[in-house]
Amino acid sequence: MKGLLKVMSPFAPDQSGAASVFYDMNAITVICDAGGCTGNVCGFDEPRWHGNARPIFSAGLRDMDAILGRDDRLVDKLKKVSDKTDADFAAIIGTPVPAVIATDYRALKRMAEKRCGIPVVTCECTGTNLYDEGEELAYMELFRSFTEEIPVRKGRLGIIGATPLNLSDISADRLLRSHYEKEGYSEVMCYGMGEGLESIRQAASAELNIVVSPSGLAPARWLEKKYGTPYRIECPLAGEEAAEAKERLDGRKVLIVHNQVLACSLRDRMPESEVTVASFFKMDRSLMREGDVRVETEDQFMRLVAEGGYDAVICDELLRRAVKKDAYGEWINARHFAVSGNLEERLCEL
Amino acid sequence: MENKQAAYYITAAELSELGFERLPSELKSKDHLIYSSPAALSFNSPGAQGFGVKRAGLAVPGSVMLLVAPACCGRNTTMLAELGAYADRFYYLLQDDTDIITGRHLNRISKAVAEVADFHEESTGTRPSCVMICITCVDALLGTDMERVCRKASEHAGLPVLPCYMYALEREGRVPPMTAVRKTVYSLLEPRAKKSTTVNLLGHFAPLRDDSEIYELLRSIGIKKINEISRCADFDEYLGMAEANFNIILNPESRHAAEDIASRLQIPSIEITRMYRLDKIRRQYELFAGALGVEMDDSAFYSEAEKRVKEFSSKHAGKRVAIGECLNADSFELALALTEYGLKVTEIYGTVSQERMAYIKRLAAVSPDTRIYTNLEPSMLYYDSGELECDLTIGIDAGYYHPDAPNVPWNLEIQPWGYRGLIGLIDEMEGVL
Repeated sequence: MKGLLKVMSPFAPDQSGAASVFYDMNAITVICDAGGCTGNVCGFDEPRWHGNARPIFSAGLRDMDAILGRDDRLVDKLKKVSDKTDADFAAIIGTPVPAVIATDYRALKRMAEKRCGIPVVTCECTGTNLYDEGEELAYMELFRSFTEEIPVRKGRLGIIGATPLNLSDISADRLLRSHYEKEGYSEVMCYGMGEGLESIRQAASAELNIVVSPSGLAPARWLEKKYGTPYRIECPLAGEEAAEAKERLDGRKVLIVHNQVLACSLRDRMPESEVTVASFFKMDRSLMREGDVRVETEDQFMRLVAEGGYDAVICDELLRRAVKKDAYGEWINARHFAVSGNLEERLCEL
Repeated sequence: MENKQAAYYITAAELSELGFERLPSELKSKDHLIYSSPAALSFNSPGAQGFGVKRAGLAVPGSVMLLVAPACCGRNTTMLAELGAYADRFYYLLQDDTDIITGRHLNRISKAVAEVADFHEESTGTRPSCVMICITCVDALLGTDMERVCRKASEHAGLPVLPCYMYALEREGRVPPMTAVRKTVYSLLEPRAKKSTTVNLLGHFAPLRDDSEIYELLRSIGIKKINEISRCADFDEYLGMAEANFNIILNPESRHAAEDIASRLQIPSIEITRMYRLDKIRRQYELFAGALGVEMDDSAFYSEAEKRVKEFSSKHAGKRVAIGECLNADSFELALALTEYGLKVTEIYGTVSQERMAYIKRLAAVSPDTRIYTNLEPSMLYYDSGELECDLTIGIDAGYYHPDAPNVPWNLEIQPWGYRGLIGLIDEMEGVL
């Protein structure tokens, strides 16, 4: 049955993805919920939170707020916080509650900006979509709202799509910076991870953008169209176990299940293997090869592994419980935080 | 000039003076955004630490849960699924964008329940004793008649199906989710002949500590079987709870369940409370025995605890303590107890309620400068642990605010109770001081 999970558990939802992009910005992030979604976002999907809590708030909606659509009360509450902080902006992130009552986010944004006197961005997340959708929404909102028309600066590079949910490491930004500095870039801006709003303002000045996960694709295309910034799609990092295994899988049939960009980059480093890329998340046609699959159901994943005859499956360990032990050769653990909520022990350059 | 970036607090004396009727807005969670820090996690997501609705619903032995919700509501269950005891007990029917508007998912529930029951039987060799259907804010807003949906699913799948309402929107309503789920987990009990020597302890989803004196005291008055849902080895033993002569409510959130049991099974109940003040523990046992019309001799337990308190007080009087609310105690009652034992309670991170005002008034008399904070208030973002130093913190949240001070989390799932609970706490405090 579509939507029925008997072995797996749900992946990180869109509101977690959006909150992840805003996390390192100097923002007041408000999750428009009754509390549980915020608990999930912070307590489970944001690994930076336990060591470095940021201004993330629940709207604390109660039944009558939802039934009567009392957005004015939410704005009043936001004002109380914005009056006491020096945030650059506020981000309001949707959940199933505003989705059911059809909250008018444009009106909410206007009301909040007028009353609080700071820029407000909204992300119409519903909790029914996956984290990459939310990340994409957040990046698009940020670039559309704040990026300024400024000249290109040589040596400046932008990275889009780096979040702990995608790369399963809370210091992935440092590794990415160091990787691209070695390539000769003098200034690397990793949007949404270790960078504040200023990097978004200056995004048009990057001479190149690197898209390290599918959630960065739409924003990179938008930046190219609007400011002419070219982009390259690649993820130069992967978990240690996967990075090491690629050498010894020559001539073998391999299934890689991860975010599409990371999986394709890993495949590019395995030219002698017969590799299929699959993902439960966004799959861009431009990166797909024959046989690549967007997995939509648990049963489909079980069948893919069972019928594929793979010598190796590179995938988060958590999903191993969904498939029969004799259905594949070896399982190589490639953590995907958005799937299991577990971080990689060590992220390596490919 | 007001420091706009300072955490809000009020002293016990100031709060006592104001009274509950003039409670400052900062202490009312409905008046402000809810700050999400690790100290507030148990409020926003009760299941993240301990028992939330999902885990609580599985208190019925042999049950499984079908969460019918958008994927986001089941996300933190990934963590529970990794715990051995729950790995095969959670199933999900995910709602999509259309479902949450039209409610069409309701048509799939019966089939999903049957599929889950069959799959569970196939993979574990045991048919579930019942299927708990956990629904969330979406169905609260859609006004779903879940009782009816469950009846239909039960007829279709041929096993009991019960609703668990994880309605976060109704957290401060008449029947909050953790109260409703306590009623649900006892709702499969059916009338049985009563046994005068059997009682049920209602209130927690994990048992009391084995050394709790309440077991011995109950046995001393002729009780032979003391049931707790968490100690029931199987569904049959669970059904045996219907034989109890009376229920003992240990947590106010079980009152609603006890009322339901009283009306359906004619089992009366009596409520007692966890406390840490010696004289109050003794007084409560006196009243309890009086209500039952029996004599109960707790003097040995009292003396043991009194001796331990005296030893502790003589060694540690004057030590400064900060008390949180993520712990197995009422923060304010515990603060009062520790103050009476000679400690200096400098800070409490708690939720002020009308019931707690009695403790706050007494605290104002003996420790007027104790600062009262609330974990949920946005200004806690600016909490400065250096402003008031302390020698000890109790509760996970208090430990978060003072990371360098020794901490007693005091929030194990196995529940402390009575004199022995107090002794256990003193032992742990001593262990870190």
